Amino acid sequence: MTYRARFGAAVVWAITVAAAIGSIVLLAMSWDRALTDDLFSGFGGVSFAAMSVAFASTGAIITARVVDNAVGRLFLLIGLLLGVGLLLYQYAAYGLARPGGVPAMATAAWLVNPVSQPSAALIGLSLMLFPDGRLASPRWRWAAVLCSVAAVLVSVPSLLEPGSIPAPFASLSNPLDIDGIRNVMIVAGMFGWVLAVVGMGLGATSLALRLRRSHDEVRQQLKLVLAVGAVVTAVTTLDMLTWLPWPHGGLSVRIGIVGLLLTAFAVAVGVAVTRYRLYDVDVAIERSAVYGVLTFLLAAAYAVTAVALGAAVGSDSRWVAAGATLVVAVAFRPLRAALQDLVDRRFSRARYEAIQRVSEFLERLRAGQSAPEEIEPLLRELLSDPDLELRFFLPESQVYVDTAGKQARDDRGDARERTPVLRAGAPVAMVLHRPTGPERPDPLVTLVEAGGLAIEIARLRVELRRQLAEVRASRARIVAAGNAERRRIERDLHDGAQQRLVSIGLRLRHAQHQLGSGQPAHADETLDEAVTELTVAIDELRELAHGLPPAQLDAGLDPALRELAVRAPLPVQVQTTPERFSVGLEAAAYFVACEGLTNAIKYSGATAVVVSAQRSNGHLIVRVSDDGVGGAVDRLGGGLRGLHDRVAAYGGSLHVESAPYSGTILTAELPCGS
Amino acid sequence: MRVVIAEDQVLLREGLGRLFADGGHEVAASRGDARNLVATVAGHRPDLVVVDIRMPPTFTDEGARAAYEIKRSHPHVGVLVLSQHIETSHAIELVTLGGFGYLLKDRVLAVDEFLDAAERVARGGSALDPQVVGRLLGNGRHAGALAELSDREREVLELMAEGLTNAGIAERLVVSERTVETHVRNVLTKLDIPDSHNGHRRVLAVLAHLRATQIQ
Repeated sequence: MTYRARFGAAVVWAITVAAAIGSIVLLAMSWDRALTDDLFSGFGGVSFAAMSVAFASTGAIITARVVDNAVGRLFLLIGLLLGVGLLLYQYAAYGLARPGGVPAMATAAWLVNPVSQPSAALIGLSLMLFPDGRLASPRWRWAAVLCSVAAVLVSVPSLLEPGSIPAPFASLSNPLDIDGIRNVMIVAGMFGWVLAVVGMGLGATSLALRLRRSHDEVRQQLKLVLAVGAVVTAVTTLDMLTWLPWPHGGLSVRIGIVGLLLTAFAVAVGVAVTRYRLYDVDVAIERSAVYGVLTFLLAAAYAVTAVALGAAVGSDSRWVAAGATLVVAVAFRPLRAALQDLVDRRFSRARYEAIQRVSEFLERLRAGQSAPEEIEPLLRELLSDPDLELRFFLPESQVYVDTAGKQARDDRGDARERTPVLRAGAPVAMVLHRPTGPERPDPLVTLVEAGGLAIEIARLRVELRRQLAEVRASRARIVAAGNAERRRIERDLHDGAQQRLVSIGLRLRHAQHQLGSGQPAHADETLDEAVTELTVAIDELRELAHGLPPAQLDAGLDPALRELAVRAPLPVQVQTTPERFSVGLEAAAYFVACEGLTNAIKYSGATAVVVSAQRSNGHLIVRVSDDGVGGAVDRLGGGLRGLHDRVAAYGGSLHVESAPYSGTILTAELPCGS
Repeated sequence: MRVVIAEDQVLLREGLGRLFADGGHEVAASRGDARNLVATVAGHRPDLVVVDIRMPPTFTDEGARAAYEIKRSHPHVGVLVLSQHIETSHAIELVTLGGFGYLLKDRVLAVDEFLDAAERVARGGSALDPQVVGRLLGNGRHAGALAELSDREREVLELMAEGLTNAGIAERLVVSERTVETHVRNVLTKLDIPDSHNGHRRVLAVLAHLRATQIQ
């Protein structure tokens, strides 16, 4: 079906083009012919040949790209009728201008109008079918029927009308020559034309009605065709009105203008239906409107100034010209700006208002009346996209977060488009949104650029909040860890050492009793037991002290780390500075070394460890490196978290490098001032 | 006096057993946890149950809960709860049951006072640890009526709150029982507490007063 449709379209297009070329050739061969009211001589003939090709080509392209669209088939038909009609016209005109004529000259002339005139009614029908090839609603069937009737009535009566054929073929007669129906046919033909005009009006009405309830792309299609159609209608009407005061002379130029306008219209419909750079047309229309009005106003200013100056300073044309030019030159820039603003409002009211809303928002932001995060709901509203979402980029952690500061997760099924927001070339945020239309410039990009400042500020705020939350969480963890540690010690003291001491006390009391009741041998035994239990109690207390900063730290980090190395079951090289730091900082450094060393001993299978603590660039750098199996990043887990907090509490940072089979390096950088 | 001991630490359990034995009492049974303690009590019919507050499996308040159960099923059996540390509110609620004692574990080393308290509880009296009483008295920070007590009267009040009888107080303070009676009367008058010859009721009244003033 597709193939057949395309093949058919190609054949019709080829016939039309051949007919148009043929008509041009015939026109060229009789270029200097002098027939009365020869509409399609010279410019008129060329212009209508172009018009027929434009309709056929548009129809062919629509059929090729958007197969199932009646507008394409109609345009092919219009092109074909115009092309063939024009060929017939040029053939007959060529014959009339040539001494002796050509064969079937009268037949050709007779068929011109019946063949070509239905195209006018078909244009009206095509407007009703625009842009999707279907009528706006079933009620429009009557309008379509009306157009079809018009097509028949502008064709058949001119076929049957007896007597001379209309200009420029008045010297020829209708070969059918059916007597007595001339007046009826004239009236019928005129009625057909009235219907055709009404049909075109209905087509335009259909477009206008569709525009009211359309949006996005369809709206853009309709806007384009209506805009071009309006210009075409206005100029054509003006052009046609010249026939009233001036019925003869220069006809081919006047009809030629109509041909060119309709060519432009055919192209516009083609652009609209195939959606080829549909939205660029907006800009083009805007620009031409601005510069057209600008030219007109400047010319008027020039003329007014020239006349005024001429009256004032006499007719020295140099001064008058110079003065008028000066006025125009001075007026150019402000006038252009004012017009652009005006056109922005008229032509892209939505965009203009959206940008206005964003700048008003920025004003409120500066005045401290709005929070920068409100840019997100504003964009949602202005782009009518409730699913729009802003995600801010945090360069430090290289992640995207939402406005609440939560790290954004990417759903597989998320069909939203992503548009990055850049400030000074660096990514600031990402907009997740419904796919935008091909409108250019993209309204989203325009608005995001306009509101960039707010997005940047919102990003900084989110970043700050996240850091604050992290600091709070880490502080809470430190406090919790401290409390847990205290509870552990308290419990150990109550359940361990304290009970142990009570039971020793009880033994001593028992021994006392035994001595008092004359059993000294038993008392000796009881006292022995008490001493044994005392030894256990001492061990328990030592266990309890583990995990508290060791007494060696009182003498400094260096002796404490050396003591740690001596106790380790494998060779540990210690490189430290004898320098002293604050008590807390030294304790943090000591625990980093402890944790690193414990991990190296327990898991890495290392044969040697190096523990170093050095000052560098205002930081105390503590590093534990081993020659073990590596791959420790996941394993360290909880212990590392606690350590991370301890280090973060001093504004430091903790890193683990532990690629498999290349050892582990645990590094803490603690700011210690200069 | 027949005693049942529930204490999870073996050494301490044995020590407690010896303590009671040395004091001339009979240890009817020893248990390492609080389970089935009520059944044990029903079986042995002791005068006193000594129970550690923290015991397996959770080491939180198994002992305290067992103590409640015993008091509910055997109101005439004295229960002495031993704790590693003091929780005031818990302690007072238990003591109001009567025939109840709440002491820190280390009190066992003061053998005579400990056995004295144990016997008092077994007889239906009460024994509240001096630390609990101390907290109730707020370390002398009390205003109002309490501030009007003399030092001696204050000491007497503390011992009353601990559950001691007039004779016990007299012995502890090494004064005559008559002198103690005078102090007691003065204290009760100054604090506006109705006098009662029932020892336990007197303790309750004193505690109620102390708690009320503490809440202020």
